[in-house]
Amino acid sequence: MTLHWAALLTDAVSDSSLRIDPQGVAVWALQFTPRVAQKGATVWLEVAQSMRLFGGEDPLHQRVEAGAAELGIRALAWAPTSLAALACARMGLRDGFAMPLAQVLDPLPIESMDAVNAHQATLARLGCQTLADVRKLPRGGISRRFDSELLLALDQAYGLRPEGYPWVKLPETFSAKLEMPGRVDTAPALLFGARRLLLQMGGWLSARQCGVTAFTLHWCHDAMRARDAGEGGNLTVRTALPTQNVEHLCRLLGENLAKVHLLAPAGELALSATEVSPFIETSRSLLPDDRASFEAVGLVLERIEARLGQHRVLRPTLNEDSRMAWMAYWQPMNVKRSTSKVRQVPGPQPTWILKNPLKLDVRDDCPLYQGPLQLLLGPERVEGGWWHRVTDVEGGQHSLQVARDYWVALSQHAGALWIFQQRLPRNEAACWYLHGIFA
Amino acid sequence: MSAALQWIVNATPPPGEASLHPFGQPFDLGQLPGGVAQAIWRGTDLGQAGQSVVSSGWAALDAQLPGGGWPCNALTELLQPQPSLCEWRLLSPALAGLAAGGGHILLVGPPKRPHAPGLVQLGITEKSVVWIAADTPAERLWCTEQLVKANPRGGAILAWLPQARAEQLRRLQVHAQTCDCPVFLFRPEAAQLDASPAPLRVLATLGPDWTLQVHLLKRKGALLDGPIVLPSVPGTLASVLTPRLMRPSQLLAKTEAANDPALGRAIDRRRQRQLAAH
Repeated sequence: MTLHWAALLTDAVSDSSLRIDPQGVAVWALQFTPRVAQKGATVWLEVAQSMRLFGGEDPLHQRVEAGAAELGIRALAWAPTSLAALACARMGLRDGFAMPLAQVLDPLPIESMDAVNAHQATLARLGCQTLADVRKLPRGGISRRFDSELLLALDQAYGLRPEGYPWVKLPETFSAKLEMPGRVDTAPALLFGARRLLLQMGGWLSARQCGVTAFTLHWCHDAMRARDAGEGGNLTVRTALPTQNVEHLCRLLGENLAKVHLLAPAGELALSATEVSPFIETSRSLLPDDRASFEAVGLVLERIEARLGQHRVLRPTLNEDSRMAWMAYWQPMNVKRSTSKVRQVPGPQPTWILKNPLKLDVRDDCPLYQGPLQLLLGPERVEGGWWHRVTDVEGGQHSLQVARDYWVALSQHAGALWIFQQRLPRNEAACWYLHGIFA
Repeated sequence: MSAALQWIVNATPPPGEASLHPFGQPFDLGQLPGGVAQAIWRGTDLGQAGQSVVSSGWAALDAQLPGGGWPCNALTELLQPQPSLCEWRLLSPALAGLAAGGGHILLVGPPKRPHAPGLVQLGITEKSVVWIAADTPAERLWCTEQLVKANPRGGAILAWLPQARAEQLRRLQVHAQTCDCPVFLFRPEAAQLDASPAPLRVLATLGPDWTLQVHLLKRKGALLDGPIVLPSVPGTLASVLTPRLMRPSQLLAKTEAANDPALGRAIDRRRQRQLAAH
């Protein structure tokens, strides 16, 4: 079976870009194949057995190349052997499969291979410019005059001898670092570097078949900082459901970074996946299905939550209580909810509720709200809550006991209202309060 | 046009009445092949809604809404004299169906706190309700736009946008055309004087004796004069109201008579006439 190697050079990066961590790239590459090797600044992938999974040679090439371009890697080549792929990548050739391997390698200069380049001075004096020239020399002479490494490397590059590498193992936890090309003064600008790290994390997650539920971005402040600025800062972003979607994570991080104020310019970034849980990828189908839209709503609600704050996107949890204010809790999205059945209060309930009951004016013993109210039904007596004690700001405890008579009242302009009268008023006058609206 | 129509009618002569002149009797759409009959639009007809509608739950209202229900793929403006007046009474039949199907009911910036047990009694399960407490107009617009773009299929978006301007609504309407769920915008009654890009505008007011009066201010098709009166007892009050309380207008009339001086009404009509004659 022929092997299919890709070589990625992390030191030959695009324009003035960031320095890339080869180990991070190796972890990212593990999403394509378990056979990933890394030596120095070079990362090799052997993908012959992954062809079918990714839909053939061309789609796989496109995916790897697109991913590498996003990470900022420019030099990438494909060849049947790893050393040939490395030589092609160094010389800017992309496809080592275009011609038979010998024809591809022969015209390459001797600088393209490390083992050959080590003897560059001697070989140049012998008149050797290309790999073909070196191969024309008698083998016995080469092995005697130079070390055995050269012949071995040449044979491996031309596919005459097998190659062996220690494969990169997938780390149990993910953390990656990145040094920024310049100092960054504002938090949203960190997103550019953080995106690279998120891409690496995406590769790690798909290789482990996990989804992330919380990740932390650390930044180190520059050495030239104010004394009180501290070493650096960090930001933890949580998601409601485990996800591998880098675009979504990036948007969430962007919304969160928009609220961060950097105390000093930052020079270095680190990203770690703090909470990870198993992830089952949904099958892709031709027809649009409701599940996808269900997930899209979850994602957009998370984004809204990231911008507005955690306590502004709320879902109710019913509670068995007869006091209106405690019948339902409104909690953030990612709070776990019990699925136990809650018994309903038998009587009618309004649809809107006022957080703080509104005290109504009374004229001739008749409560007023946008005109006089007509009491229709009542009283419904609600009494309880003596067990519910809370500590207030001053440290004192008081009970949330209520003793109220609820009435349905009708207003000509505001519709049916749910009003109550304190049953045991502290002061003598019995006050009326508006608590809900049957809207 | 008439030549074309004659050709159509001639092409499909009714079996037993071939001898009759085609224009001698009222034109019967049923004689036409299906595709052609659908393509004919008369001035008195209602327009077609978008691709799909959600039944409003009121037969009288469905009959007057284009397509027979609240439209998907478009904005629906609901105007009320004051906020938190009759939102759930009007929408709960439609929303209960959506919630039962597992859709999200997304509330953007409601004027008061929604009371989940009350909603559950209307059939809107607590799992489906999401309350987005967006306060400023800009936040409400942004949240609404994000939700409309996300296309929560099978659910509904309810947004309270009292201060939205026409160009902001137009932007929402453009996004809503790709959204397969009804989008309701609640706005004050005064907004009916402004132009709006929403294809359906509804003014809902309270009528006497547990009724809702629904005016269709704008719809695709002919204008509708006069309100549609929907009998609607809010929530589960119907189960506890006595027959006498089902007609509270009589009670109110009595109270009002007693409270005339309290309300500060200028002067009684009859008395005014007497004064003028004096």
